[in-house]
Amino acid sequence: MSEALGAELDLGYGRRGTRVVRPTSIAELVEAVGTIAAGGESIYPRGGGTALEDGGAAEGPGVVVDTRGLNRVVDYPSGDMTITVEAGMTMARLGATLAEWGQRLPLDAPQAERATVGGVFACNHSGPRRFGWGRPRDLILGVGFVTSDGELIRGGGRVVKNVAGYDFPRLLTGSLGTLGVIAELTLKVRPIPEDSAFVWASYDRWEEAATALDRLNDSRTRPVAIELLDRRAGRSLGLDWEGDPQGHWLLWVGYEGNRAAVAWQVEAVRGELGGRTGVMADERVGRLWSGLNELTAAPGSRRRLRANVRPSAVARLAGRLAEGGWAVQAHAGSGIVRAFESLEGIETRDLAATIAAVRADAVASGGNLVVESCGEEEAQELGQWGAPRGDWELMRRIRQALDRRGLMNPGRMPDIVGVGSGRF
Amino acid sequence: MIARASNRNVLMGETMSVGSPVTALCSELERIVGPENVIAHRDELLVYECDGYVIEKSVPDVVVFPTSTEQVVEVVRLCGSRGVPFVPRGAGTSLAGGTLAVGGGVMVSLTRMKRILEINLRDRYAVVEPGVVNVWLNRALAGTGFHYAPDPSSQGACTIGGNVATNSGGPHTLKYGVTVNHVLGVELVLPDGQVVQTGGVAEDDPGYDLTGLVVGNEGTFGIVTKVIVRLTRDPEGGRTFLGIFDTVDQAASAISGIIAAGIVPAALEMLDQLMIRAVEEAFHFGFPTEAGAVLIIETDGLEAGQEAEAEAIERIVEAHGGQVRKRIPWRTRKEPEYVAIWKSRKSAFGAIGRISPTFCTQDGVVPRTRLPEIMRVIAEVGARYGIRIANVFHAGDGNIHPILLFDERDPDQVRRVLEASHEILDACIRLGGSVTGEHGIGVEKMSFMPRLFTAESLAAMGRIRSVFNPEGRCSPGKLLPGGAGCIERKTPGRKASA
Repeated sequence: MSEALGAELDLGYGRRGTRVVRPTSIAELVEAVGTIAAGGESIYPRGGGTALEDGGAAEGPGVVVDTRGLNRVVDYPSGDMTITVEAGMTMARLGATLAEWGQRLPLDAPQAERATVGGVFACNHSGPRRFGWGRPRDLILGVGFVTSDGELIRGGGRVVKNVAGYDFPRLLTGSLGTLGVIAELTLKVRPIPEDSAFVWASYDRWEEAATALDRLNDSRTRPVAIELLDRRAGRSLGLDWEGDPQGHWLLWVGYEGNRAAVAWQVEAVRGELGGRTGVMADERVGRLWSGLNELTAAPGSRRRLRANVRPSAVARLAGRLAEGGWAVQAHAGSGIVRAFESLEGIETRDLAATIAAVRADAVASGGNLVVESCGEEEAQELGQWGAPRGDWELMRRIRQALDRRGLMNPGRMPDIVGVGSGRF
Repeated sequence: MIARASNRNVLMGETMSVGSPVTALCSELERIVGPENVIAHRDELLVYECDGYVIEKSVPDVVVFPTSTEQVVEVVRLCGSRGVPFVPRGAGTSLAGGTLAVGGGVMVSLTRMKRILEINLRDRYAVVEPGVVNVWLNRALAGTGFHYAPDPSSQGACTIGGNVATNSGGPHTLKYGVTVNHVLGVELVLPDGQVVQTGGVAEDDPGYDLTGLVVGNEGTFGIVTKVIVRLTRDPEGGRTFLGIFDTVDQAASAISGIIAAGIVPAALEMLDQLMIRAVEEAFHFGFPTEAGAVLIIETDGLEAGQEAEAEAIERIVEAHGGQVRKRIPWRTRKEPEYVAIWKSRKSAFGAIGRISPTFCTQDGVVPRTRLPEIMRVIAEVGARYGIRIANVFHAGDGNIHPILLFDERDPDQVRRVLEASHEILDACIRLGGSVTGEHGIGVEKMSFMPRLFTAESLAAMGRIRSVFNPEGRCSPGKLLPGGAGCIERKTPGRKASA
């Protein structure tokens, strides 16, 4: 029929679902998932389709469950600073709803016009603001999800403090649709800050950036974002910016809060950092936030890596990746290093060995390195999900406990939880 | 010689003689942890018959105090091979019977695993053993510019392992979040003796958020033997206000006003009149005993911009019919006046002890905007059952703590306290809230779980528990009603009044 319908079948990596269902209520979702599962078909949950190639490729035929028909605000008591929405609402609409009351969900997600709230939480996506405002796990209070048993399971609640029962909201955050289709979420929201500004600093060598990051850790200021970008990533921001074009490394330190606090911090941190610094406090600030946010999806890049390490190791890892030709964006305060292919391309000779070496460094630095996206044929060789961990066996059993038929989004997290039906 | 512990427990009916199961178990436990780390004498065991929830009691057969992960592994393996249930325990400050040894068995006290293993300021984490008392960590961090944010009122006694088990809160969660927001990873000994590490010093390990799932498991997954916690930068300073109101409603509307102004205070605590009087009698802080409600409002952060916020708060308090009686500016949380006001708040339960022989602290949550309604319910229920109820609670979170005063020697009062508690908690559910904000389900609130969650959701939780604890040997009779490995029961032990 229409092009739109064709697009809904897209599962990334050239895979397509056999058909699509588009429930418009949670009851319909329960019904649809139950029916598909009863027929033994796999279920591929899909929101705005902005992260179809995060993780592995769909494993075998199955039905696309498009959640975008679930787009209502269920409850928004702004005085409680919480909101309950259906999972298929876009991040942009959520933002607009909250803005009417001077509030926001302080979570960065690229392509907000398309990305759905359920998708962002299922993918555990976050960006620059995570340092100051937390990760998805810090913002979720309640969840409702539909399992391959065709059951609506709920965890958490609608209040900001609640310890009744096991923490399904956090378990579902980052589960990539492998435990169930997220139907509804209750989230913690915050007031929109009065003011915002960035201080930049530039460095020729990553070692200098490392020193600056050490200093920021003890800063008298309270940044909400500490972004370290190499020159390639900086150029991808496409910002008209009069700062130092020579430095190989750019540090963006972001502040949000009341006017007096932001103004004081901008001055104070420049004194602490020394060297080549500058301030961005005009109308470009909003564009920089969104530029840094969009960069996390590295639009147009075939390969994307994400390392998670102790914060003190960030600059070193970033340096190693930049040497290999990767464009690097690090959420430096949180220990997250993202690397992607820029237009100049990367050194692809011995790619697997290079990634393995950086991964070994990441593991030694208390974390791991995953290949968020790459060519399907190289996923296994590059070790998509990173170095195996001792807790993966428990994760596999958790998947079996909630997805008893093995039908939920098979192929997404194969290394960790197996692929799907009969192949646990 | 070791006396018999109890006549109701799993090893019940056995006399303490050479060759009896209890004696055999004790000698094996002594072999693992050393005789100095085992308690099996009836008199000593009585201390462990309950925790902060005194309504139900059950004496464990033996209490063991391991000092290392390896010893915990051996203890749980031994319990496995003997088919004996076990329950982990920290300081026993649970107010929901979370550490009650339902059906007896082995109690694993973690209080001798109390080392702070590592503090890393650059990477903002600390690694601690479960028996480290919450406040010890902050003492160790004093002067570094960093702290561990969750600060339950019992922080002088409660352990970080216990905080992890119950996902504890505290007065400053409004701004800083609860325990789960500050735990990066744990080492967990599963009931089969397997040791698993979830998370780590880095955020966002690939896969499911097992750390998030383990926090709040109430000891039903296994025994946490190490915790990696996140450290938070100290605020530069703050302001703590004492707001006085004629009525609870006025205080509640002032809270709404503060939130609507886009201010997120570090803490927003309310005390009602009965509580104010008890606290004032005990601490003489200068709380006006004629006030209908007192709000402790605290802002913290950078000095810059805080004065404007302080002025806004004073205006809002006054606009809602209140009056700012005290305004305490502080640079650290150690200044005398600051300490005094929070001592009054955090020791409120102690103050209650002066006016009532026994009390039962409830823990319910409502949406913050429904506070006036739930307070009216509490007053009405108290009047109808003839039970005095004092209130001191985390108003900013909508987390109420009605304290029901009674005499545990009077069975009729005990009955009325239980019924009144249940009515209040039912009202919390009706208003869109929960029956526990920070104390946990424990044994006390299992009967509410089917009202909060559908049978399907509870069954899914049961399957999750079985992933970790398939035989239900760890903390049986807790959190989930019925289910695998659980003994269906109405009362686990004798009533306090018995």
